Amino acid sequence: MKAITHLLEYDFRMFLHYRWWMLGLISMNLADLFIMAMVFTKMVNPTIILNYFQFFSPGITITASFAAAFTIGREINWEVRRNFSHYLLSLPMTRRELASGRMLSGGLRGMIYMSPLLLTTFIFLGFPTPLQLLTILGALFLLVAGTSGLSIAIAASTKSFEKFVTARGVIYYLLFFCSTVFYPLKAIHGVLPQPLILLAQLNPLSCGADLIRAYLLGSPPFTAALLQNLLIFSVIFMVSGAAVYIKIMEHD
Amino acid sequence: MTKVWLVVERDLRTFLQYKFLLIMRAIWFVAQITFFGLISSRMVIVPNYYDYYVAGVVVMLLYSTAMFIGYDIFEEAEHGVVEYLLSLPISRKEMVLGRSIGGGIRSFVYVGPLLGVVLAIIGIANPLNFLVAFASLFLFAFGVSGMSIALAVGIKSHDKYDILLGVLDALIVRLSTTLYPKAFMPNLYSAIAEINPLTFASDLFRWGAGLESVYLTSPLTAIVGLFLFFSTFTFLSVAIYEKRLEGGGWE
Repeated sequence: MKAITHLLEYDFRMFLHYRWWMLGLISMNLADLFIMAMVFTKMVNPTIILNYFQFFSPGITITASFAAAFTIGREINWEVRRNFSHYLLSLPMTRRELASGRMLSGGLRGMIYMSPLLLTTFIFLGFPTPLQLLTILGALFLLVAGTSGLSIAIAASTKSFEKFVTARGVIYYLLFFCSTVFYPLKAIHGVLPQPLILLAQLNPLSCGADLIRAYLLGSPPFTAALLQNLLIFSVIFMVSGAAVYIKIMEHD
Repeated sequence: MTKVWLVVERDLRTFLQYKFLLIMRAIWFVAQITFFGLISSRMVIVPNYYDYYVAGVVVMLLYSTAMFIGYDIFEEAEHGVVEYLLSLPISRKEMVLGRSIGGGIRSFVYVGPLLGVVLAIIGIANPLNFLVAFASLFLFAFGVSGMSIALAVGIKSHDKYDILLGVLDALIVRLSTTLYPKAFMPNLYSAIAEINPLTFASDLFRWGAGLESVYLTSPLTAIVGLFLFFSTFTFLSVAIYEKRLEGGGWE
């Protein structure tokens, strides 16, 4: 456990190196919310979405946490390219501790980055009850931990930074646009083919955003499937991310 | 003039090395027009919004590709190529002019096929209008490259440039009519959008393609605006490049 704490501290310090870059990202997220979403509020047909700003606010929180959790992959890819993994493997900790520590670090980063945006959402949409807040935080942690697992699996699989960035981009666009982050599920029907609609339904980004909406806006309604999907996503990607990470580090 | 074209040719060749970046931008473009564009056009009350949106996406792409020249300058500084460039028998003015033109042309070379896709979707109602708009978009691309060079050489810090570009991108794109018409913006945003070069470029492109909309800026205003934008940033980039390129200090 102590080894994991050291790793968390190390990765958190590294995260602080990105503070200016993060500030740039947050400003982009806020511009999306306070400029784009405000304009769309006037443009969107109220029979589809009554208030787009309120609808989009949970979506941007989820988008931001997903992007921040992915930053751990950037570092892992750098470590793989520079053979930094040899040093990490020489440290007095088990492979399992190493992998789970990196995974948790990615999750922690996502949670920290997302917190000002989540607070903004609460300010404009209203605060949840303590139980709802705990559920939201737990669900978001599942999302960011799963995301960092996914990011680590991709980052460790290639030594090429360009390939990592391209793969990340494809996943970003697929998961962002085939989700309910920007639009409700009913708007997707009839536009996207059935497999992509299914992806949008099961997408962890959709589940995260819809969970917050369910508690703060009352629509879509809360279902246990939202939490269940997030749990499945998180477990699959944390386990596979850790397995790929350990295997590639040992064979490098 | 030959020397300027040598610089342009070099920048074009350099650009082709960024294969992955070009692929990424193309994926972004496809995602925008096939997912967000299609779905959002069914949600909004703006008539013919899909055509309006895809025209704006092309201009966004032109902007972001032309801005990329600034990253080339940092690459050169990091690898010590700036000193080599300074030793060439080319004046600073020729160098920066070549880079502005090269940055603009290469963004057109890249955006060209995607622009073709968009025109296939929208169509061209009046070829003469389209030629006027197309020529003005060149001014826009050269102006953006000039702005990128002025910022990169003025700041001389890769990190600060990266952040500034992110913030600038967030504001300049969203406070323009690339994604939505001015009529739906709050007054403050609309006032900024009215003098935004991205508004001029995207509305002019829509006009050139024959999109009829009450929301568009007048073509004459847009052309004058783009000309002013191009002249200002070409002049600024020459002045800053000449003054700041020498002396190191790159971070």
